[in-house]
Amino acid sequence: MGLGSLFKRKDKQPSKQEPTIEFDAELKANLDQNLETLEIMLEKPNDLVIRPFSLGSQDHRCAVVYIDGLVDKQEINNNILKNLQYYAEEQELPTNSHALLDEIESDLVSIGDVSKGKTLDELSFALLYGSAILYVDGVDQALMFDLKGWEMRAIEEPVTESLIRGPREGFIENLRTNMILIRRHIRDPNLRFKTYQIGRRSKKNLVVTYIEGVIHPDIVKEVNRRLKTIDLDDAPESGYVEEWIEDSFLSPFPQLANTERPDRVATSLLQGKIAIMLDGTPFVLVAPVTLGNMLQSPEDYYERWLIGTFLRFLRYGGAFLAMFLPSLYIALVSYNPGLIPAKLAFSIAATREGVPFPAAIEAFIMAFTMELLREAGARLPKTIGQTIGIVGGLVIGDAAVQAGIVSPIMVIVVAVTAIASFAIPSYSATISFRLIRFGFMLAASFLGLYGVILVYIMINIHIVNLKSIGVPYSSPFAPSFFHDWKDLVLRTPVTMRTRRPAYMQTVDKKSRNKEKS
Amino acid sequence: MKTFEYADDQISDKEIMIATPSVVIGVSVLSLPRTLTSPTNGMDGVIALGVAGLFVIALTWLVAKLAVQFPHENFYSYASSLIPKPAASMFTMLFAVYGLLTTAYETRVIADVAEQYLFTRTPFGVIALTFLLVVIYAVSGSRAGLFRLHMMFFPFIVLIILTLVLFTSGLFDPDNLFPVLTTGAGNQWPAFIGSTFSFMGFAPLLFYTSLVKKPRNVPKKAAIGMSIAVTLYMVIAVMSIGAFGNLTAGNLQYPTVELAKDVEIPGGFFERFETVFFVIWIMTIFNTTIMFLDMAVFAMNQLFTKISKMQLIFICSPFIYMAGMIPKNNEDVDALGTFISMYGFTVVILIVALFFIARKWKRGKKQ
Repeated sequence: MGLGSLFKRKDKQPSKQEPTIEFDAELKANLDQNLETLEIMLEKPNDLVIRPFSLGSQDHRCAVVYIDGLVDKQEINNNILKNLQYYAEEQELPTNSHALLDEIESDLVSIGDVSKGKTLDELSFALLYGSAILYVDGVDQALMFDLKGWEMRAIEEPVTESLIRGPREGFIENLRTNMILIRRHIRDPNLRFKTYQIGRRSKKNLVVTYIEGVIHPDIVKEVNRRLKTIDLDDAPESGYVEEWIEDSFLSPFPQLANTERPDRVATSLLQGKIAIMLDGTPFVLVAPVTLGNMLQSPEDYYERWLIGTFLRFLRYGGAFLAMFLPSLYIALVSYNPGLIPAKLAFSIAATREGVPFPAAIEAFIMAFTMELLREAGARLPKTIGQTIGIVGGLVIGDAAVQAGIVSPIMVIVVAVTAIASFAIPSYSATISFRLIRFGFMLAASFLGLYGVILVYIMINIHIVNLKSIGVPYSSPFAPSFFHDWKDLVLRTPVTMRTRRPAYMQTVDKKSRNKEKS
Repeated sequence: MKTFEYADDQISDKEIMIATPSVVIGVSVLSLPRTLTSPTNGMDGVIALGVAGLFVIALTWLVAKLAVQFPHENFYSYASSLIPKPAASMFTMLFAVYGLLTTAYETRVIADVAEQYLFTRTPFGVIALTFLLVVIYAVSGSRAGLFRLHMMFFPFIVLIILTLVLFTSGLFDPDNLFPVLTTGAGNQWPAFIGSTFSFMGFAPLLFYTSLVKKPRNVPKKAAIGMSIAVTLYMVIAVMSIGAFGNLTAGNLQYPTVELAKDVEIPGGFFERFETVFFVIWIMTIFNTTIMFLDMAVFAMNQLFTKISKMQLIFICSPFIYMAGMIPKNNEDVDALGTFISMYGFTVVILIVALFFIARKWKRGKKQ
């Protein structure tokens, strides 16, 4: 085994969620004792609010507990405290504490989401997830009011995927809002949201969305199986989930797409795909994806089909340039200069006059600088970001040529490559293309064109063996589904695309019934 | 509800249809016009090629027909149901050797041609080694993956041949094709044999038919696939003879590559098309090689069930490399090629004849 086992998917054991301190204890019937346990457990943080009060003529001792900032205070004041105190004055309350608790739950408070909790674990989770808890002395239960009300960002235009034409709203960090954004696109009763809890300690909610009756059931099953194996302390971003459930962690290609756009998720769901939303991040995962999906943008569908098709062609060209251009430059200049038309070859040779490095070194220097610039630009505060562009692009580029370190043609090659790579709509795909480019450059510097084609073949070998949640990454190219080619490189008119992608093997094949209309 | 159907050990008959020409088209096309023209006059070699083509299409159909009789059964198991077990093992082994030898040969030719047209300084040992390593990487993947590779690369192959034909049509001189029908049957014979050998590549059908999901249509699809190859060969042969004339075509080592040399693409962007042609052609040769190496591994796996596929690959690959390095010069390489084709051809013919007879005989015995 040894090395072999590295390439196999690791067998994941079901997660054992064991909190270090056992708080599974049942509640006691004594209020003071309950409050004390809670305080000990949380070690009296100063955002923990305990508001004791007594009710009615029998002086039932009660307490409302919540975490300041996680809940909507207005609601607690108006719908719990005010109600209770008001009714305690107005009407006779039952003497039995259990009856009182039931009375409060059913009649007295005006809150939608109320449930009863018995264990400390249950209560503490609810408390830390934006619930207010009402204890009544003498009962070994407590009421939990779901009153989440924390500060959140407004719905804004997605930053990473900007479109010229298309909906302007993007996902935000709040899971509930994100679910609603999807619901607003698809009003199908078969739209399913399945909730999981991720993270031993963070206990974050993760929601899996799909349309029952469209998606192939095996995909749901497989995603469920993989999600259940997740064993992490916390998943701060959906990238953690992606890396945990992807098919091959050795692959440079993203096997799950991520997006900030609800419209894109909705379209994918209707194609029989599954979406995974994690609380706390605006990036929603979409799976399964294939190679073709990386080069598709929602805007292809929003503009008319001729424009959409043209843009696709442009992007395929861009992807080709992003991967091959520097390596072709290296291969042609250092191994096969004869392939370049004579005049161009002369001008390249003339510009390379005085450059001290061979083409390969020159290309690596420039490609590295380019990556550095891009990375620095991404990390810098937005206001200074433009400076990097000017300093890097103009000053360094120009000075390097002036100083004779690199040839002007190399600067052109690198610049075109960079621009081409930014034309790829998916950012994760862009990164993998840029990564592969270095492989090509390396091969080109040792074996010229022959090396380039060998690496190209190797990438193809990798792609045909790669899968995304069980769906071959190379489909619908191979295995071929000719019907799907209508929406691959071409983007045929919407009236012609009457079926969902065949490679997804959807239950409901037709997206439109021609006979009816 | 049917289960998700991407089982990795199954392929469709459509994939067989593409894989057949993709396996056949390989090294032999590069020298095909020479094989045809050196013994014949005018374009008579093309007639031999056509006859050989028809013969090979029929043979492909027969081979596939034979394999289809035993759906989802691997070669060794149906062979041993027809002929005695030792004989079945021997034939399986013969196919394994055939696959390994072909791999060695193709690797060698790649290195030779690359040295001639792409590099001058890089030692061909290195070129052969890198190619072989990539082939091994491909074969270590899934079998269905290999067929997907065929599907991915085949369009490039057709495209490059069409480009070749389109852009050399200016050189085409109909006078070069004449005189017609002046070659005697005795001289047509070597051309016929040569073209038959250049179509070698239907042996894998015996093995891979067992992987096809619905094998009923495999003979038809394989025959269609083979006719694609025959058509492309005919086009290349006619174009080369038309462009160079019989004499020149008969004396060039790789006339097809020379034909590519004469391509002039308007706009003057590709100065030397033959390099591009050859670079794409690497994919074609690669396709042939993976199929044969995998066939060898597949065959051996059926005999030695205890050894894993990866182990088999690692055991065989040094021998493949060494075998590829043995031939000293072009003549030796050609001789090796001819020997392998003859060997493969004999084994396939023998198997087909033997199996059909055995089947008839067994049926007769039952009745």
